Amino acid sequence: MDFFRRMYDWLLSVFWATEMDVTMLGLQNAGKTSLLRVLAGGEFTIDSIPTVGFNMKRVKKGHVTLKCWDLGGQPRFRSMWERYCRGVSAMLFVIDSADVEAFPVAKEELHLLLEKPTMEGIPLLVLANKSDLPEHKNVEEVNEALDLDSIQNREVSIYGISVKRETNLDEVMKWMIKHAPK
Amino acid sequence: MSYNKKDEDDAGVVKVDRTSVFQEARVFNVSPVSPRKCRILLTKIALLLFTGEKFPTNEATSLFFGISKLFQNKDASLRQMVYLVIKELANTAEDVIMVTSSIMKDTAAVGSDVVYRANAIRALCRIIDASTVQAIERNIKTAIVDKTPSVSSAALVSSYHLLPIARDIVKRWQSETQEAASSSKSSSGFSLGFGGGGHHLAAANTNYMTQYHAIGLLYQMRSHDRMALVKMVQQYSAQGVVKSPAARVMLVRLAAKLAEDDPSLRKPMMKLLDGWLQDKSEMVNFEAAKAICDMPDLTDAEIGQAIHTLQLFLTSPRAVTKFAAIRILHQFASFKPDAVRPCNQDIESLISNTNRSIATFAITTLLKTGNESSVDRLMKQIASFMSEITDEFKVTIVEAIRTLCLKFPSKQAGMLTFLSGILRDEGGYEFKRSVVESIFDLIKFVPDAKQEALAHLCEFIEDCEFTKLAVRILHLLGTEGPQTSQPTKYIRYIYNRVVLENAIVRAAAVTALAKFGVGQKDPEVKRSVGVLLRRCLDDTDDEVRDRAALNLRLMKEDDETAIKFVRNDSMFSLPVLEDQLAHYVAGGNAEAFANAFDFANVPVVTREQSLAEDRTKKLTTATPTLKAPSVGPKKPDQNSAAEAANNITVATQRYSQQLQAIPELSTYGAVLKSSPVVELTESETEYVITAVKHLFKEHLVLQYDIKNTLTDYMLADVSVLCTATSPDDEEVPLEEEFLIPVPLLKNEDQGTVYVSFARPADQLIAASFTNVLKFSLKEIDPSTGEPEESGYEDEYQVEDLELSGSDYVLPAFAGSFDNIWNGLAEGDEAEETLQLSNAKDISNAVDLLVKALGMQPLEGTEIALSTSTHALKLYGKSVGGGKVAGMVRMAYSAKSGVTVKIVIRSEEDGLAALVVGGVA
Repeated sequence: MDFFRRMYDWLLSVFWATEMDVTMLGLQNAGKTSLLRVLAGGEFTIDSIPTVGFNMKRVKKGHVTLKCWDLGGQPRFRSMWERYCRGVSAMLFVIDSADVEAFPVAKEELHLLLEKPTMEGIPLLVLANKSDLPEHKNVEEVNEALDLDSIQNREVSIYGISVKRETNLDEVMKWMIKHAPK
Repeated sequence: MSYNKKDEDDAGVVKVDRTSVFQEARVFNVSPVSPRKCRILLTKIALLLFTGEKFPTNEATSLFFGISKLFQNKDASLRQMVYLVIKELANTAEDVIMVTSSIMKDTAAVGSDVVYRANAIRALCRIIDASTVQAIERNIKTAIVDKTPSVSSAALVSSYHLLPIARDIVKRWQSETQEAASSSKSSSGFSLGFGGGGHHLAAANTNYMTQYHAIGLLYQMRSHDRMALVKMVQQYSAQGVVKSPAARVMLVRLAAKLAEDDPSLRKPMMKLLDGWLQDKSEMVNFEAAKAICDMPDLTDAEIGQAIHTLQLFLTSPRAVTKFAAIRILHQFASFKPDAVRPCNQDIESLISNTNRSIATFAITTLLKTGNESSVDRLMKQIASFMSEITDEFKVTIVEAIRTLCLKFPSKQAGMLTFLSGILRDEGGYEFKRSVVESIFDLIKFVPDAKQEALAHLCEFIEDCEFTKLAVRILHLLGTEGPQTSQPTKYIRYIYNRVVLENAIVRAAAVTALAKFGVGQKDPEVKRSVGVLLRRCLDDTDDEVRDRAALNLRLMKEDDETAIKFVRNDSMFSLPVLEDQLAHYVAGGNAEAFANAFDFANVPVVTREQSLAEDRTKKLTTATPTLKAPSVGPKKPDQNSAAEAANNITVATQRYSQQLQAIPELSTYGAVLKSSPVVELTESETEYVITAVKHLFKEHLVLQYDIKNTLTDYMLADVSVLCTATSPDDEEVPLEEEFLIPVPLLKNEDQGTVYVSFARPADQLIAASFTNVLKFSLKEIDPSTGEPEESGYEDEYQVEDLELSGSDYVLPAFAGSFDNIWNGLAEGDEAEETLQLSNAKDISNAVDLLVKALGMQPLEGTEIALSTSTHALKLYGKSVGGGKVAGMVRMAYSAKSGVTVKIVIRSEEDGLAALVVGGVA
């Protein structure tokens, strides 16, 4: 039985397997690295060290392999986001919904990136993370703060999630797979 | 056959070029990644990088980021290749810090394959910056003690590279490093994972390389802590602790360095070095022997064992061993020929060695160790040997003989015969040139040899195929010939050239000829030179005719004018001229060239002075063309006396440029003399202070270079309180004029304080200056790095600075010491007999005295031939231009050490006593 199962998987991978590139952006301490770890099936840990540069992980879901590029959010790495976003299938912008003070910076950085010609048409998913914290803002407020309505010519979605409680993560996964290249 | 095949392969690979590789780089972005294609492309990039191709920054950056897309691929060899290339690109590409997190994953002990872990570690240390080193600390620490040697070595070497950028963090890894140094992992040298997969090949040779790397790192970590280093060397020197011979070689070098830096450690270190002479690895034996031979002031007992070890190697069947041994002995023989003499028999058997490098070293060593009688015998042996060796070796031997001539002027007759003998042999230009130059040196520096040497040269140009040499010899005949007792003899030789040679030589001959005529006192000689020159007016060549016409005209002028043109004895000081021209050319913008180069700034020296410089240079650079590499940086004052004298003009010139730039001092005129640098503190104190004394016509300027070595403090308003006292408690006629303080000294900064005194121009003064450093100390706030507002005043007393007679004397060269000495009999004379407590032996005393008296040793007396008595002859000129000569007789006895009697004579009154007083 096991043998047939493996055979089936292999056939699937030969004919329908697709690989897609997804980048994860956001200011430092938004929860990008944690999100990726949890998506890849790992445990949530509270004290992860700041990402120097980027991390790359493969996440397999059905016949799709997601190559997730988790980019560092510290100011010195932001200028290099664009380099990794060229030609990807989708962008995930993670934001700490409890950190109101960082909203203006996040907005500025996001819009700065989206203006680049190479970013044209790439679908964007904004994730308002840390919904488990009491002081978090809801999706509408984040939407407003980031001025997402002004973004044209691309698909923009926004979900509220909590990596710690693993809420809404399945939706994120579904969204990504939906945007896999056919 | 196989060789041909290899050639073809090479040709296939070499076709790789940068642009096409850069085009192909698209393959990195393809998804999914194709490991095979990427690996081939990476190999091509690596090939380009290793063959010297350089990618411009933008290309390197995009390649770099392209490659970063390949991370975390399952193919282990691709990962290895990725790291290899990243490591190389890290220097040129921008924003390399980006890949830090990704590489860090592969350096972790869990979850990464040992095959690429070492590569990842090595790549990581290239891309990381100081602020992120902390993040990788744990990974590196575990890697250092990893049981796989390749990983451990990679971590150690990486730490070594990280040390300069993150010293404090790396220093925390000491205990791990120590563990690596004492554990005996046998290394396979290199991780052999290229073929893919994680299989390990059993290492054929076990070399314990990790120990070598660990000890190297430990040394770097502790390099500022001498006691820790001593402990380390002693701990690891025990038998069998360190298995790697390379690591033991390193320990030998460390021990040697420790002994050199701290005299109190010399004894224990020498004991260790002696132990290493018995080591079972030849490499270690050599290093120990070399280290012992490089020690300063060796006693015969100390050196005995090392020489014996080297002697055993002389009879080794392996050529390389013999070569290494003879090379060390050769070098050592330059300053302690007696110690090498016991090996003479073995060395003599090497003369006939088929390896000519060994044979040449053997001969030159024997030339040094030989006494008077054996030098003659050797010369004969060389004569038969010369025909068998190539020009290159002949040149080495000629150079050895040349140094010998300068050292033992008494042996000149035999050597001159030898030199003139080989001058007649067949040989190329380089060889002939070295022989001719050796004869030139004999003429210049050994007055007794002049007549005969000139005769040999005259004979040589009769049949010389090298135009360049003929021209040089004719020039020399022109300068030296007229001063000899029978100038007419040379005129015939020179005129023969006018008749027989090509135009270039004819022109040179005409000029040489003219020097006999111009200013000639003997009317008969003058007339015949005139006749000869007139004949040259019919020459077919323009240049020859022009020269003849010019010189004929000059001969009609009065002697004074003519001599100024033809026999001008002074010339520009060449090192200074070179330095200034280089500055002028490097000026950069077009404005710098608007003004013509100003020759007025270049000091003019007499021929005697330039000869003096020349001679010291020739003696110090000595013979060996193949010099043994020295271990670590040489101590700056090793060749002390001779080099100091040689550098003095250049140093003065450099200082005067600095001083000219200061507005207050620019009106003082030229610097008459700048003293060598005097250290006023130990080099390990909080503030390191050195001083230089600059003497102007009417001023004395003291320059204090102050370095702040404290990390947490800044010094503000730094000045030096400087009080002059005279040795006999009289009032010092020096008047302090002003002081230029340093406003702020940050840590590790160096600043200069100048103190200016007015001095009476016609009086030479000895004085002693007490120096107190005054400053206000400001703590640096560790959080902001800014100094605090308020500081407190502090003082720091340093050692006294002496102004003595030697500060008024410049070294100068003269042909004959006796003439000068007798000529100064009427002048001022001072005498002093004393015991030099700080001199260990005669040669040490010579060095000390040459430095203390600041004069030029003449007639080769800076080399003591005997260990019991020696006479040192010194000559110099005072800043006022008067002659100063010194005769120092010294005797050594084991009981009382070195006793010297110094007699100084000077043209100027009072100077002699002052110079002597400076030593006492």
